Amino acid sequence: MTGLRLHPFTLLAIAGALPALAWILPAPVGGAWTAAVALALTLTPGASPGNTGIGSSPDRRPGFVVFRTAVLTATPFWLFLLLLHDVPTTIAIGLRITTMVASFVWLVAALEPPRLVEAMIAAGWSASVAYLLAATLSAVPGLKTRAQRIVEAQRCRGLSPRGGIPARLRALRALALPLILSALHEVDERALALETRGLVPGVRRTPLAPPPDPVLERAARWALLLACLAALVRRLIVASPT
Amino acid sequence: MSIRLLALIPVAAAISLALSAAVDAVALPLFLDTTGTILATALAGPGVGIATGVVTSAVNTLRNPTFWPFVVVQIIVALYAWVAARAGLFRSFRTAVPAGLGLGVIASVTSTPISYLVFGCTTTGGIALTTALGKALGLPPLGACFFGSFVSDFGDKAVTFALVTSVLHGLPRRTAARFPWALRAIGAV
Repeated sequence: MTGLRLHPFTLLAIAGALPALAWILPAPVGGAWTAAVALALTLTPGASPGNTGIGSSPDRRPGFVVFRTAVLTATPFWLFLLLLHDVPTTIAIGLRITTMVASFVWLVAALEPPRLVEAMIAAGWSASVAYLLAATLSAVPGLKTRAQRIVEAQRCRGLSPRGGIPARLRALRALALPLILSALHEVDERALALETRGLVPGVRRTPLAPPPDPVLERAARWALLLACLAALVRRLIVASPT
Repeated sequence: MSIRLLALIPVAAAISLALSAAVDAVALPLFLDTTGTILATALAGPGVGIATGVVTSAVNTLRNPTFWPFVVVQIIVALYAWVAARAGLFRSFRTAVPAGLGLGVIASVTSTPISYLVFGCTTTGGIALTTALGKALGLPPLGACFFGSFVSDFGDKAVTFALVTSVLHGLPRRTAARFPWALRAIGAV
């Protein structure tokens, strides 16, 4: 079973349950297990659907690329933990953070936003909620490119980002203001486009290709939730006498 | 919620996430990751502000999973910004900057327990280093953690409030009037 075939809600449930269990189960054994599972997930073939490798390593297995991303993201936390805590605490918190990082890196690689939107609409969620997530994800790269253009344009006009803090703050204002004002002017255009397409808040839409949601996966999601609750209750009961 | 306010939420969230390019250009130790939340609240009220904060955290989480537990801070920022907008504190820098400093204290008080209990104060490199500095100064672990959060949040929120004030005053009056709270936030009504 690969990440590609799983229902988006199942992917979210796994990515949510693993960090929850990492924090609930006793450290460091619980965290070690959840971190191992999360890192193993990053090696599954479905972790990067349609991806044949990244950058300078196109022949590497996509799963390994996801694994490497997870490890590289988690490593600085271990260094900072060692700087601030003793070794047992570093291991306990580090394993939890590694679980969280690996789970989310795997989720980002396995989850396709259009499938999630379809699944949310099929489950009866408002199309507005799905729009908020998808529109933000698509707007960020565009605004970042615009921010870079503004930086270059202001430099051409002689804006210097050097000097003391007041000078830098003035430079920041000159860079941020055009970006924010231009973005706000887009709101009307977006509202018009949404209205034209009939995305009025509260209206239900019919999904075009809802992802299949087998009974087994639905049961697995409930089982994950119950496992987290059971672990939490057990932890509280075991911890309370001491 | 009107369709214009719905369209504002992803734009405001994207502003928070895209501002990092401007911050990098001037090499200041700022996050400005609540700019969109404060701006959306000042323009359209607490509901839109909270939604912007939650969406910002959700999208940020996809880049760095450690952001998600701090969604609570975004909600508190939105509520505080709403109070500030109602009181017309965005009318000038003289009122906005102290309000931002107040938010810096509240944000660091809110984020410290999350940072301490969940991450052992290692959310970002800068905070970890200032926490280490706090420990070196002899502060207890929780105090050092608060010191790290406070140093990063205090100035950041003041600059964010000043920036939002600039934006609100820079908006053409006709554009501002399309948003329900914008004119009240700058003390124009």
